[in-house]
Amino acid sequence: MEVAQSRHTINTIYAVLGLALFLGLWQWAGKAGLAGPSLPAVSDVLRTLFSSDSFPLLSRSALSTLLSAAKGLLFGSSMAILLAIVMRLLPPLQPGLDRLALLVNAIPPIALGPILIVVFSRSRTPTVLAAIQVFFLFYVAASSGLSAPPGLNNVITAFGASHWKRLLYLELPSALPYLASGLKAAVSASFIGAILGEWFGAPQGLGLVILNAMQNFQIRLMWAAVTMAAAMSLTGFLAAAILEKILSRRFSA
Amino acid sequence: MARNGDEFKSMSGTGIEIRDLSKRYFPRRGVVVEAIRHLDLSVAAGAFLAIVGPSGCGKSTLLHLVAGLEEASSGSILIDGAVPEELVRRHRLGIAFQDSALLPWLSVESNLALPFKLAGRPVIRDRVSELIDLVGLKGFERARPSQLSGGMRQRTAIARSLCLEPDVLLLDEPFGALDVVTRRRLNIELERIWRDRAITTLLVTHSVEEALFLSDRTIVMEKPGAIAQVVDVPFPRPRTPELLRCDAFHHLTDQVTVWLQV
Repeated sequence: MEVAQSRHTINTIYAVLGLALFLGLWQWAGKAGLAGPSLPAVSDVLRTLFSSDSFPLLSRSALSTLLSAAKGLLFGSSMAILLAIVMRLLPPLQPGLDRLALLVNAIPPIALGPILIVVFSRSRTPTVLAAIQVFFLFYVAASSGLSAPPGLNNVITAFGASHWKRLLYLELPSALPYLASGLKAAVSASFIGAILGEWFGAPQGLGLVILNAMQNFQIRLMWAAVTMAAAMSLTGFLAAAILEKILSRRFSA
Repeated sequence: MARNGDEFKSMSGTGIEIRDLSKRYFPRRGVVVEAIRHLDLSVAAGAFLAIVGPSGCGKSTLLHLVAGLEEASSGSILIDGAVPEELVRRHRLGIAFQDSALLPWLSVESNLALPFKLAGRPVIRDRVSELIDLVGLKGFERARPSQLSGGMRQRTAIARSLCLEPDVLLLDEPFGALDVVTRRRLNIELERIWRDRAITTLLVTHSVEEALFLSDRTIVMEKPGAIAQVVDVPFPRPRTPELLRCDAFHHLTDQVTVWLQV
């Protein structure tokens, strides 16, 4: 326990050191003008981010991207979990649906964009693309999480549990840590999906800001938007990691 | 000592009748593994039957078949005239395995409430606390399985198997992972708990001592999946720790151990 604790502390120290080193190098490279104006220093990017010119635009766009990502996460994960539960209750369908999930995952999202715009709309595409990005991760997490260890399964069977009772008392609780680690991967996937979706002409969002800034050579604004997106994605990842830790302590053997 | 258990007839209540039972596995194309081979066995209602045998003799498979966890290749198992699945459906089966198989996220108390919930019945709190008391876990109601010792986990599993007052109790190496001292103590407790209830019980074990101490009849199985010897255990109940020290008990233990090694 103590060894694990100190290893954890060491890992945290390394992570902080690594981040500091990265930011330091970035700052130095920017100030030294290593890549010319296309690589501004961190301090300049942050100044742009919080300037009265850009901050209202960036925060409004970030909120819109966050909403698309969150809605996509919610839709994608509920569809995936529901489907995985249906699989549990109707095992003969499993091979077919597994293949369908793989197929959906194999389509490059960039190729899906134009189709989604035609089928849905420009404003809904970010959400839908985020949902698709999230779906497979959650489907895999849910289907592996729902298959409980055989020992527990045997006892529950011998006590005469129905499929629903087994799901409720055994399979869903034992899937929770798996779902949390699925969430960890899905958070960044949902942001990728949302931002990518915004590139296809969404009315607002960080993806749109990044695209416009790039096309208008507003280099610092582009970096500020990217930094904002990275910060949101990282925050979500950390929250999911904490949730995973709590759930796996509570629900694993 | 009879070669088979046919005259050990069921009286009334829930006896087990196994007729010409076979179980074959097909692990690969063209490979057949016989786990149980034409096995006949009768267990009287309210009797305690122990099954010993070398690893891979099919004793656990036999228990799984009686629990309805696997399907027989041929032959029949009737429990009080009904197939095992019927008994399971009516929640009349109690079971405990070597791995306690407690739900790790539930407390001792909630693990004992689980059979009620799975059966869709209201939890009888008094019975839960009575059982916790009976297996000596008073004060640990709220403890998680991970906070318990191996012996305490097995006590919890035994208590859980008795929650719905089952007609048939199936125990698969319930104390197999415990040290000898704890194991003896739990055997003595199990005998006391069982004596008050006289539930038809099948116990699969590696320990001859455990089998003879607990059972009315012990069968010795041999590979592949057949009964080699049937031992009617002559010791009266209640069985006490003194029995473990008496010469007649040691004699019988030695005798059965020799059969096991043949």
